[in-house]
Amino acid sequence: MFDFAGSPAPVRSDVVYAYRSVWRHLAGPGPTLTGDQRVGLMQSARDRSSKRLTESWGHSTELGALADTLYHTPKDVDGTMVRAAADVDGDPMTVEVIAVVSILSSIDGTHRGLGIDLEPVPDPRPGVPTEHIAEGLKRRRLHIAAPPGPIPFTLDLLPSEGAAFQSLFGPQYMTGREMALDTFRRDPGLDRAQIEVVSARTSMHNECFY
Amino acid sequence: MSHVHALRASAQAFAYPLDIRAISDPAVPIGVPGGTALLGFVDAVMGTSGEPADDARARVVDELDEASLFDAATVYGNFEMMNRVAEATGIPIPKPVIDRERETVEALGLDRFLKMH
Repeated sequence: MFDFAGSPAPVRSDVVYAYRSVWRHLAGPGPTLTGDQRVGLMQSARDRSSKRLTESWGHSTELGALADTLYHTPKDVDGTMVRAAADVDGDPMTVEVIAVVSILSSIDGTHRGLGIDLEPVPDPRPGVPTEHIAEGLKRRRLHIAAPPGPIPFTLDLLPSEGAAFQSLFGPQYMTGREMALDTFRRDPGLDRAQIEVVSARTSMHNECFY
Repeated sequence: MSHVHALRASAQAFAYPLDIRAISDPAVPIGVPGGTALLGFVDAVMGTSGEPADDARARVVDELDEASLFDAATVYGNFEMMNRVAEATGIPIPKPVIDRERETVEALGLDRFLKMH
């Protein structure tokens, strides 16, 4: 798993470890979805067939439409689309879909960046949904319920999904400690300014103001 | 926008002659070592430039090195995730921040991304 066959560049071991760990997490039961449903969602998002999938679960096609749009054209996602799913299927399930699809997009993005085949979706792990959902959170001015704070905490309605999301920052970008340094430099690799050139341009193309 | 702010700060720390307009205008030299190759890499992988992605990857290796290409791919992957989480959760940008970064917003034409959530 994650052997990065054909990579045109040497692969950092911390990235391999993080991806294997997150892949295993995605394959298991989440707060509202089973492992089978989560893995099915990963494949259907890639195939742009999530509306049929979520309908087959007995949930809204809006939830599937959100998954497909988020994976393929994130700049088209807006509050109306997210709330259309969340108002029917609930904030926890909507946040779980956002988490699974966003993490998948990240790992697939790295593979596309390297020009190598995408990792096949994992085999699902058995079990029932954990129902581990933070209590007392409100939407406030967001589309979904979340604690106050910056973007790393916006998925913390589901602590396990928020943790998986945050676990990728260090290997893929920078740790919190490294982010504090304007002069950070991977050796060998990119320095902080070069890293931010890539982040800013990616955000520009995704029409993401944040 | 927060990463443009970080880019400005880092370029200043490294004494790079950054021209921030390059983030939105490929005709502007960016002033960061290997920066044009990195911009071209993102453009090619996202399919906005028409350049074969393998050519763009090779330019990153030529101008920087293989480790930098791997970093570029993971940073790109990271922001494919961050952008999606930001858009889907609708995390707001406080108006004082927008006002403070008005020069950057105007230089890059970011007003058009300020969607009503």
